[in-house]
Amino acid sequence: MRLFLGQRAWMLQRATAVVLLIFLAAAAAMLLAGPRLSYERWHALATSPHGAVLIVVLFAALALHGWIGIRDIVLDYIHPPAGRLLLLGLIALVLIAIVIRVALTMAAHFTTAG
Amino acid sequence: MRAPPGSAPKFLNLSQIRFPIGAIASIGHRISGVLLLVTLPLLALALDRSLRSEAEFEALRDLVSAPGRALLLVVVVWAASHHVLAGLRHLLMDMGIGSRLAQARTSAWAAIVAAGVIALAAAVRWLS
Repeated sequence: MRLFLGQRAWMLQRATAVVLLIFLAAAAAMLLAGPRLSYERWHALATSPHGAVLIVVLFAALALHGWIGIRDIVLDYIHPPAGRLLLLGLIALVLIAIVIRVALTMAAHFTTAG
Repeated sequence: MRAPPGSAPKFLNLSQIRFPIGAIASIGHRISGVLLLVTLPLLALALDRSLRSEAEFEALRDLVSAPGRALLLVVVVWAASHHVLAGLRHLLMDMGIGSRLAQARTSAWAAIVAAGVIALAAAVRWLS
């Protein structure tokens, strides 16, 4: 499991945390300050070139942050190498699938939006 | 008296370990993190649905109409609140802010209580 170890993992965990905090603050400001989010406004925002890219970045940051966190937890509590490999492999697969799925979702709407 | 080295217990008895407030904030950070990770695929699906049509978008709004799902959402709100607040605490401590014991205990209490209050507010709003 030599995927993001030691100081690099530590830095990535913090960097993605800050990115996610900025996303959260922006989303909270948009939802709390503005009017009730309508479908039209959400669709226009999410499928705009910047919005679509930002959403993919958001999910990539979530997956990366989640990977480092769950990896620490699995390594702390599960000790047999085979169990670790199986569980971490499965989690990595699901996380990669989620990011690809989100990218495909955004790509689909992006092409129809223009 | 400190136990001599080598006599450290190999098997930890959870009922005999004291959990200071920082430890509770920390284990809560882990538990909430796992909960949020489990929510991630659902979030991706919700994103997809929200963009399909206005009806699907509005259907997501009505998610809290069933008490069972509203309760699940309250759990997610707690997890997100606790994870963000406890995480913010860790980030500040990394920068040397509030890492002294008294301050660290206060901020641990603050994170736990604030997340509880936010979850309670969500429960009052969606479950009543």
